[in-house]
Amino acid sequence: MLRSDTTGFTFGCLLPEPEVPLFGDFVKAPAQQGLTEIIGVIHNIVIEDDLFVRQLIAAPDLPDAYIQDQRRNRQIPIEVSVLSVGYSSGNTMIQGLPPQPPVTLDYIKRCSINDMIAFTDRQDYLALILNSKETPVDELIVAALQRASGARPIEDRALFLIQAGKELARLLSDDLSKLDSILRRIQVNT
Amino acid sequence: MTIESELESIFPSNKDDPSNLGLRLGIIVGGSLSKGLTVKLDAGELPGSMIEQLAVGRYVVVQGLTERRFFCIVTDVSLEHTNPSIESNPPETTDIYTAEIYRSTLVYGRANVAPMLVLERDSEEPRPVKTIPAHFSVVSQANEEDVARVFGKADDDHFYIGNPIEMDQVPINVNLDRFIERSSGVFGKSGTGKSFITRTLLSGIVKSGKASCLIFDMHNDYGWAIKNEHGREYKGLQQLFDANRVNVITLDPETSQTRGNRHDGALHIPYDAIEPEDIAMLAGVLTLSEVQVNALYFLRRRLGRKWLRKLLSDDEHDQTELDEFIQQGDLIKGTLGAIQRKFEIFRHMGFLQTNVREDLVETLFQKLNSGISIVLEFGIYGDNLPAYMFVANYLTRRIHHRYVATKNKAFGHQGDEPNPLMIVIEEAHKFLDPEISQHTIFGTIARELRKYNVTLLVVDQRPSGIDDEVMSQIGTRVTCLLDNESDIRAVFSGVSGASALREVLARLDTQQQALIMGHAVPMPVVIRTRDYGPELYAEITGGESHDIQSDGEKVAQAKADLFG
Repeated sequence: MLRSDTTGFTFGCLLPEPEVPLFGDFVKAPAQQGLTEIIGVIHNIVIEDDLFVRQLIAAPDLPDAYIQDQRRNRQIPIEVSVLSVGYSSGNTMIQGLPPQPPVTLDYIKRCSINDMIAFTDRQDYLALILNSKETPVDELIVAALQRASGARPIEDRALFLIQAGKELARLLSDDLSKLDSILRRIQVNT
Repeated sequence: MTIESELESIFPSNKDDPSNLGLRLGIIVGGSLSKGLTVKLDAGELPGSMIEQLAVGRYVVVQGLTERRFFCIVTDVSLEHTNPSIESNPPETTDIYTAEIYRSTLVYGRANVAPMLVLERDSEEPRPVKTIPAHFSVVSQANEEDVARVFGKADDDHFYIGNPIEMDQVPINVNLDRFIERSSGVFGKSGTGKSFITRTLLSGIVKSGKASCLIFDMHNDYGWAIKNEHGREYKGLQQLFDANRVNVITLDPETSQTRGNRHDGALHIPYDAIEPEDIAMLAGVLTLSEVQVNALYFLRRRLGRKWLRKLLSDDEHDQTELDEFIQQGDLIKGTLGAIQRKFEIFRHMGFLQTNVREDLVETLFQKLNSGISIVLEFGIYGDNLPAYMFVANYLTRRIHHRYVATKNKAFGHQGDEPNPLMIVIEEAHKFLDPEISQHTIFGTIARELRKYNVTLLVVDQRPSGIDDEVMSQIGTRVTCLLDNESDIRAVFSGVSGASALREVLARLDTQQQALIMGHAVPMPVVIRTRDYGPELYAEITGGESHDIQSDGEKVAQAKADLFG
């Protein structure tokens, strides 16, 4: 965990992480000294340059070992930004902003399939995504629904997507072109 | 305590037993008592399908917040959307996913329902509605128990007349006391089953003994058997009741005998009993001018009781007497000539006779007053509108007069109340035309309600021709399909809040369906009228159900029903 606020947090990781974070993935971070777990959706992944990269990129005929070394042993971590969409307290999943953000240097984990199914059982988190200012909203919704649908058994996916679609239709009833484009991409991508 | 249980304690969910309610249809989102309520329909199991299951005329029940149950009737259905651009950019029909999402959320069906009755908490008796259910009250299909509760059970006072649409097991019963208490009407285009409903109602009234009926049977529909367009034969009132309950009197004994109809007497009217008032009502059909009508009163005064006979006479002596009026300047020759030409029609009325032994008016009054219903068959005179109107007017005036006298005696404690009488007239708009209804006996009877225990049952296909004032006094209206706009308007005149039912009326099936509203039913109801057949015969006669059709006829009937 690098930094956080009520609406989201950013964590850092290195490339050889066993599970490379993906746009739209559900992740969870501990908060309130382990009392709650914040659930968020990855909406941005930033790979910044550093001095070595700048030097290397100017060097001609760079051996492959150099490139791999630079990638594995980066000076600056990959920054992954997460939009908080809910939290779990005991056995209850709550869709909404957490009471406290996670603190620095906490470990961030990817949500398990069961976590994802339990959390996306209700669709209120879609409103949080739609209302967020700094995220590519349409793409993030499509990607998040793709993950949530993929976590479910095949026979449950159609019903899940219909429920999600209904929620989106309610939220976007005054912006039909946006709704239409999201619904179309949901069908193509899932 | 979990958040859910915490919320539940603050906002308890509806605790109504769902098994007590019919299929949920939607929720109330607006409306008013006068214009009806607006229901946003649920999407339904197959999204968007709910609206297709909701026909106008169906009953729905709204469960109010204060445990009141509102009984409403569906008056209109429409398609709505939350965003107008859906009309210009609907989803592709091939895109099933998007279409289903849209149908579940962005587009919806809307129903307009008219609240009619309310069942208060802890009350078994529904009352007329004076308030409306709150926003978002749940609307569900009325179940059979609801409808049965509103329309009561069939008993001595309630007669089973049909079933609500799509509720074949629920009987709709007409309150006979209220039906005869005020004048009633059966309306509908020709061929929509007016006479079958009328016959069903009449058999119920005669069976109950609540009133005797005097039926001016223009087309021989009520007395003896009648065949429908498929050739199936149905029993008439005389076949269902014995002579102590129903008598058939004919104006045309020859035709009655030829048809094999049993009759209990023939009606003859003496010329000398006819008064100008009996004929004045025919001014329209005989095209008598006001001057000519006034001349009739003059002639009656001057010629005495034999005035009509003298007018129609070829006898020289009589002609001289008439000519004297012209010479004295009391009468214009043209007026007299016109009257005589127009009165030629009376020569063809075989029931008008010079000498009549029995005063049939008194006999009819005695029978009616003792509870015997009379069917007056017109035979060949059925197509003769002046004859029909003349006889109806002649008899009704005199019988009504006798009723008034008897009732007045009863007021003065000098006699018994006369037995209630219902006079059945067809082609009623001819009698109750706005121009003449003020002056005719039928207009008087319709207006005076049951003051003298006499009411009307008007059977008509053009209610728009009936005087508005009379129409507004019609208590119970049984209406088969009408499609003329002015007729529909007329049927609803004087019925508060019923204009919402216009669509219902215009959408009735062409046969065996009717909208009943008014005094005799707690709320308007669209019914499939009960079959006039063996089951009804058995109920009326109290005997075994037996059909008068042979097996061969039944096969023919089944074929006709199937293949038209």
